[in-house]
This record gives sequence, structure tokens and C-alpha cells, in this order.
Amino acid sequence: MTRLLLIEDDAVTAEEVAGYFRGRGYQVSCAATGTEGLAEAGAGRADVLVVDRLLPGMDGLAVIEALRHAGIRTPALVLSALDGVDERVRGLRAGGDDYLGKPFALAELEARIEALLRRPADGPETLLRVGPLELDLVARTARRGSRVLDLLPREFRLLEYMMRRAGQTVTRAMLFEDVWNYRFTPRSNLVDVHMGRLRRKLDAPHEVELLCTVRGISFVLDAPP
Amino acid sequence: MRSPMRLLGLLAATTAFRWTLAIAGGFTAMSLLLFAFIYWQTAERERGRIDGIVLSEARRIAEAPGPAAGAALESWLAEDPHGRHYGALFGPGGAQLAGNVQAPPAGLPADGLAHRVVIGPIDRDHDGDGPEVVRGVARRLGDGRLLVLGYDLDELDQAQDVIVRALGLGVAPAVVLSLAGGTVLAWRGQRRIAAVHEAIGRIMQGQLRERLPMRGGADELDKVAAAVNGMLDRIEQLVEEIRGVGDSMAHDLRTPLTRVRTRLERSRDEALTREEFQAAADRAIASVDQALAVVSAVLRIGEIEHGQRRAAFAPVDLGGLLRDAAELYEPVAEEKGVRLHLHIAASSAVPGDRDLLLEAVGNLLDNAVKFTPAGTDVTLSLHGGPDGACIRVADNGPGILPSERERVLQRFYRTEKSRTVEGSGLGLSLVAAVASLHGFRLRIGGSAAGCVVEIACCPAVVPNPAQADQQPARV
Repeated sequence: MTRLLLIEDDAVTAEEVAGYFRGRGYQVSCAATGTEGLAEAGAGRADVLVVDRLLPGMDGLAVIEALRHAGIRTPALVLSALDGVDERVRGLRAGGDDYLGKPFALAELEARIEALLRRPADGPETLLRVGPLELDLVARTARRGSRVLDLLPREFRLLEYMMRRAGQTVTRAMLFEDVWNYRFTPRSNLVDVHMGRLRRKLDAPHEVELLCTVRGISFVLDAPP
Repeated sequence: MRSPMRLLGLLAATTAFRWTLAIAGGFTAMSLLLFAFIYWQTAERERGRIDGIVLSEARRIAEAPGPAAGAALESWLAEDPHGRHYGALFGPGGAQLAGNVQAPPAGLPADGLAHRVVIGPIDRDHDGDGPEVVRGVARRLGDGRLLVLGYDLDELDQAQDVIVRALGLGVAPAVVLSLAGGTVLAWRGQRRIAAVHEAIGRIMQGQLRERLPMRGGADELDKVAAAVNGMLDRIEQLVEEIRGVGDSMAHDLRTPLTRVRTRLERSRDEALTREEFQAAADRAIASVDQALAVVSAVLRIGEIEHGQRRAAFAPVDLGGLLRDAAELYEPVAEEKGVRLHLHIAASSAVPGDRDLLLEAVGNLLDNAVKFTPAGTDVTLSLHGGPDGACIRVADNGPGILPSERERVLQRFYRTEKSRTVEGSGLGLSLVAAVASLHGFRLRIGGSAAGCVVEIACCPAVVPNPAQADQQPARV
């Protein structure tokens, strides 16, 4: 059972987040202050940390810095109401592995935590396979079974990203940040349109759907069982 | 009403009055110096003239043989209409032998040179008996007699009187006039400052429409007043905008929140199955997300306008930026049946924030695709111009009326034509904020046949033939 430590001072948010993750099979513990959270995380009783940026007593970033200083590399996601680009950079520089601005969708938080737990996704392999899909990173070719897929460069990168995270939920914001490397929130359906195009090339009308939309906000690429 | 003394005190404290006082003081000092010089020069000349007379007369008398000296002295004393000549011959014992001076003056050496000396008592009927200040000379004659001659210094005193009177006539009115002028100037300045002060007081009480008084001239105070009034125009405009933004934001939040409320209320009463509840919750979440998007957009524009991101500026290749933007939005255009064209006539690099510029160009493309009808074109292009590179987004939409072109940049402003289309009225505000952060100019043009929005990137174009290409084809 995955152990999640939530360091958050707002009781209502903490309760909602904890309830959501308990419902998804996580073992969740909560800390309301930075000092308490640091003690908990320092004891090695967590697999993943969700740390609020602004905490009473000890700042969230200070907690992560202290942990990293002590050699504890538990993946940490920084939550913050401060959603400036500078804030994000500061959060990652302090040793955070991801940054999510408040308000956030719980599904977004879940997808990001799953991604953190499955790290690293970018291995040295040059041939990726998911079910009938085959992506040759050296020859830059993509095939579904015997059918060759004609992909634009961006579509190729999108497919590579999805194949490396096969079976994993990936949100629009994650795609926009990681595939496009942009740090702004685009019009909501911008990523969907690109993914729709990729899906039409991937899944022909008579074929099993490999690329699916999850709850309207995220995507998952998976091989049929 | 102020008391006269207080008013005087106020005037005396003004810069105009202090300067006048200083100038009057300086003028007086200069006049005194000038007159002192004139007096000194006149006195010097007069003294030289008198010395010449006394010395030559003394020589003439001394050279007269024996008894004739007495006669010569008497004749010099006689030819004296103004009573300025004094003289006497004394015996070796000091007894008066001839002339009108009764005793040899003490302190006059018998060296034949002219000295300033007091002689007397005087023995003369037409003049008083008191001692006189004269230029005098004493010399011994060959027979032991002492000759003393003196010439009255009255003329010198008169010259001095004339000069002092002239000084008084010249300097006193000048000082009085300048003090009066200074007072008037100070009073007028004080009156204008008081008016400005009152206007500022009213502005500070919140009357933002108040302006500083101006006389319509081009003097310093008018220039300052004009600048301050310009500043007040801008502040008034900003305050109005903020007020408008607050109202619009409250309104824009109320609409989705009202929807959330009614949906939740209805589903509580009417939803019977878990699926129905979920559908209602999803719609409520969508409405809340819409409200949150408005808040995020406002905060973001605020962050950009705050200008902190200027610190992270790096050279941005505009050609590459436009290619990325076109690539990002091309599928959206295609989905709507709009053709998106990209023309890059000249590429250049400008210092800027790549993400923000992309977001701005993205917003323009988003608007263009949204408003242009299916089957028509949207063109994104980069031109070199005399004032730098220029990013242009042209569409075949309804366009923006000239009267609305300023206002569409304000937060939450939506044109009549755009009210039916989904949007927050914040897209162009963000573009304007990004342009302003970079020091670029945002121009909205076009006609009823389409809108043209240009971002003129002021830093000069760096011609790069390798990158200057034409890409009429779709990306």
C-alpha cells in the first residue's frame, strides 16, 4: 500500500485530499505544520509527499530542503496558492519534484502523484512497444501492427511521452508542460485537439482504442488486455 | 482671514522674496563699492591739485627775496574770494610776523611737503576763528623764518557730500523698488501656490476629477501643473478601470456561481440515482472551473503588469515563436474549418519572455479562429518594419469598430459582436499587458471585412537571410 504524507495546514483541504486518496487505496497520514511534517517524513514513513507551500512555523520549501539535505529523496509535490512562474521555479529548485497551483482538481493531483511514484519514465531504450504499437526512436518511425503511422514531429513526441507512461493517467497540463514545455494554461481544449488528431491516426475505426480520454481531463494509453 | 503680520511672514518665507532680498543686498553692496571707488578717485585727484597749489605757492614765496616774502604771502591771502587760503610767517622764536594763522601748527614738519594738518586759531574777519583742516606745508626760509601755507579741504568735503547724496538717490529707490517687486512676486506666487494647494487638498479627499489651476502660459508652474494634470488623468483612468474591473469581476463570478448553486440545489431535490448526482456535480465543477479561470486570468494579468518577469528576459527568436504558435493552433483552426497561414518575411530576435509572448500570440490566434467564419482564412505573419519587427494576426471575422479599439484592451470589456461567443473578455487585456511589459506597441486595425492586430516589437530587426523565408503553405 502506497504511503502518502500530506503536509497541509488547512484542515478542510487536508480532509478532502486524504479522503480522496484513501478511497483510492493509499495509506494517508497528515501533518498540519512544517515541523511535524519534517519529523514524519524524516522517519521514512512515506513513499510520496504532498507539501503545501505556505505553512505555519516552517515553510513548505524549507521542509523539502531539510529533507534533501538529510539525504531523503522521497518524491515531493509542492502545492501552492502562489501560482507564479517564479514560484514554480523556486519550488522545483528547493528539491520539489513537481508543482501544482491551487486551486487544483483532485484527479490532476492523483495523476501527478502516480507519475512521481513511477519515475523515471525516460529510459535509454530506443524501441518502445505498447501492445500493437511500436515506436522506433532512432529511425523516427511509428507502427501499429503492420500499419505505418504518418506522424508530425509533435505527434511523434506526444506518442513517445504516452508510450513511456503506458497505463498511466496523464493530464492536459502535464502534456502541455512536458511535451510543449510551456508554462501557461492554454484554452482548455487545445491539448484535446492535438490528442484527437493523434488518436485518429493511432486508432483506425475498426481497431481497439488504445488512447482513451479519462473523465474529460486526462488521457491514458494502454494495450488491450 | 490672515493677519497682515502673518501674511508678511508667509511672503518673507517664499523663495521669490528671499531671492529679491538677496539681489537687493548684492546691488547695494555693489553700489557702495562703486561709489567708494569714485570718491576715492575724486579725493585723490583733488588732493593732488591742492597739494600742487600749496607747494608751488610756498616755493614762489620762499624764493621771494627777504622782505618781499611777506608781501607775496599777503597778496596770496588777498586773492582768495572763497576764503580757502591760510598762511603765516613766523619768526625763529615762533612769533607771528605776517598772515592769518596765529601760531605755528603742531605736527607740521618743516620739510617742504604737503600734509593733512589742523591749523589755527585763525585771525580773519570774514571767517570764524576755529581751527581748520587743511592741506598744509611748512618750510624754513633762508633767514630762519618759518613759512606755513594751508589750503582748505572744504571742496573735498563738498565732493564727498555730492557723492553720498548721489548714492542715496541711486541705491535707496532701487532697494525699495526691488523689495516691493519681490513682495508682489512672492504674493502672486503665494496666491497661485495656495490655489494649487487647495486643489491638491480636494484631490486628496477623493475628488479625482479636480485639476490643478493653470494660467494658460508657459511658465514653470504651468508646466508642472500640466504634468501633474496629465498624471491625474492617468490615475483617474486607472482608478475607473479598477473600479470597472472589480464590478465586472464580481459580475463574471456571479454568473457561474449562480449556475452552480441552482444545479446543486436542483440535484439535491431531484436526482434519484448516483449517475444523476454525478452528472450534476460534473456540471457544477465545470461552472466553478469557469469562475476560477476568471480569477486566475485576472491574477495572471496582474502578475504580468507588475513587471517582475522583465528580470528573466532573454533573446526570443520571433520566427521560431510564430512557427510554434502556428503549430499549436493549426489543429484548432482545422477543426473549425479555418485555414491558418504563416508568413515569415524577416526573422529577428528581441529580448523578451518566450512563454508570455507565445501566450499573447496564442490569444490573438485563438480570438481570430473564434471569430472568423468557417471556410475563410487567418494569417499569422512577421514583417520587418522601420520601427522593428511586427507580428500581425489578420482574420476574416467581423472586426472591431474603431470606437471600441481602445476599450477592448480593458479587462472584461466585450464588444457587442463577441457577447454571444464564449469568452471572458480578458484575452486582449493579457495581450496588452504582455506587449506593455516588453515595451511593444499593440495596434488594432482592419475593417468590417476582418480584424488586424499587430504587435510592433520596437527593438530593431536583425536581418537574417538564412531564416528569411516565405511559407505560404500551411504548417
